[in-house]
Amino acid sequence: MNFVPEDTYIDAASGMVGLTIPETWRPGVRRFLGIAAEMAAVLEAVPLEDGELALAPVYRLPGVTHDR
Amino acid sequence: MTDDPLSPWASATVIANALRTGGVSAVEVAEAALNRVQAVNPRINAYTEVTTARALREARSLDAARTAGRPLGPLAGVPFAVKNLFDIVGLPTRAGSRINRDRAPARTDATLVSRMNRAGAVLLGALGMGEYAYDFTGENAHDGACRNPHDPARMSGGSSSGSGAATAAGIAPVSLGSDTNGSLRVPASLCGVFSLKPTYGRLSRGGTFPFVDSLDHLGPMARSVLDLAIVYDALQGPDPADHACTDHPVTPMASVLPDVRGLRIGVLDGWFHDNAGHEAQAAVATVAAALAPDCHVLPVRFDAAEPVRAAAYLITNSESAAFHLDRLRLRAAEFDPDTRDRFLAGALVPAAWVSRAQRVRHWGLHQAQELFRSVDILIAAATPCPAPLGGSKVLHVAGRDLPLRPNLGLLAQPFSAIGLPVTTVPVFAPGTMPIGVQIVAPPWREDLSLRVARFLEAAEVAVAHAPVTKSVGERAGERAGGRVASATAR
Repeated sequence: MNFVPEDTYIDAASGMVGLTIPETWRPGVRRFLGIAAEMAAVLEAVPLEDGELALAPVYRLPGVTHDR
Repeated sequence: MTDDPLSPWASATVIANALRTGGVSAVEVAEAALNRVQAVNPRINAYTEVTTARALREARSLDAARTAGRPLGPLAGVPFAVKNLFDIVGLPTRAGSRINRDRAPARTDATLVSRMNRAGAVLLGALGMGEYAYDFTGENAHDGACRNPHDPARMSGGSSSGSGAATAAGIAPVSLGSDTNGSLRVPASLCGVFSLKPTYGRLSRGGTFPFVDSLDHLGPMARSVLDLAIVYDALQGPDPADHACTDHPVTPMASVLPDVRGLRIGVLDGWFHDNAGHEAQAAVATVAAALAPDCHVLPVRFDAAEPVRAAAYLITNSESAAFHLDRLRLRAAEFDPDTRDRFLAGALVPAAWVSRAQRVRHWGLHQAQELFRSVDILIAAATPCPAPLGGSKVLHVAGRDLPLRPNLGLLAQPFSAIGLPVTTVPVFAPGTMPIGVQIVAPPWREDLSLRVARFLEAAEVAVAHAPVTKSVGERAGERAGGRVASATAR
């Protein structure tokens, strides 16, 4: 599979996060975003149960303090 | 290995014993090591900073302690060096970048640097790495390529490139690096040394420059399994400076015996076999054959590997880009072009993909835990091929041409993605290019992995041979005869 992301997506998404991507860097960004899309397609094929929800990073509170 | 504590190939054990028994002073060891760095480093480009004054100061302090009759640590006088993402007092923590050279010098050492010092080790300096650790090649636009000590025309592997190259070249008996997706195991494989990527959360990352917090591990490289274990013991322990660092009790490994009797060894077939070239397949077969008389060796599949590796790719891409977002907004032109475009792409990855990647990561861990009900250890090649030629851009693997930089570590990624401990052992004959085999254990069972590694080393199946200096003509002949692999895995 070869996914080629649309430039319209790159323009919109980069604008959303405040990045400027000049024309000379676009082929590389397009290529790596295409690889990321291929990886996402591999993930889509995994039969996940709804209960498979242990997302990282895990938010953990520190231990009890006894300063007072 | 040699009994001469001043030899470039002296083990940490030999050096520390010689110091304790008065056979050599720490200053003599440090001076010999510093002289070797001066002589050898220009050929391989492993060090980015040499901390000469500090090394001599630490060595003098050890000699004074010995004279005063104070106890010496298990690594007394052992020279070491660290990937330049570890904080070192007085130096900006570069993490392989140009941008970070503008950072204020570190005011304290990283936790693991302090622990090495506490065990008596002497810091020689900081080692080169791929920019912000986003690399498997050892090539860096700012510092130049780190070269393979076994053939400087070839890659060292990365991103702990300087660690692998320095330890293999005899200019750091032991070194520390990091591994997010394979960055200890790839250079260990290509440079022919041992590495230990412990369980995620085992060793503190306090005082190091992050790459991907969800996946970052630190660990040692060495030229013997005993050295690896002694260093690992010195590094263990909880640390509030790293939120992922475990409170599990320290489990000493230096006394682990090379006893593998009765272990069930799963040789990974399927995806791992298909993505390994013939040298990598041969190395795995050699290890399996060596274990067969004492163990129950069986082929197994871990079909979650490919999706778990995909999950690691996306988590890495997105999380690292988010971490560097301000630098990408303001100073993108100062990034290494080989990392810049990948970071920029990572900033554009949809959140839904990353969220699913985290779920698949957990699913993959459950699959691995199921597999470990029937085996104690998994083995697989560490890289698809031995060291590619410097500058290579394409990896031929499983009948496909893939971009080399993101794929050289594909066989390592599934295990770091789910946090399993892995010892990488070098399998090669003197004078040939090395390749590593991963010895993978269940979570928190570094002891099992190191037991197998010690057995393989004692059986002389896995040995960190010193590089053999060859003439240009000999190397040309080898290449013409195809003895040294190109970046070809199938």
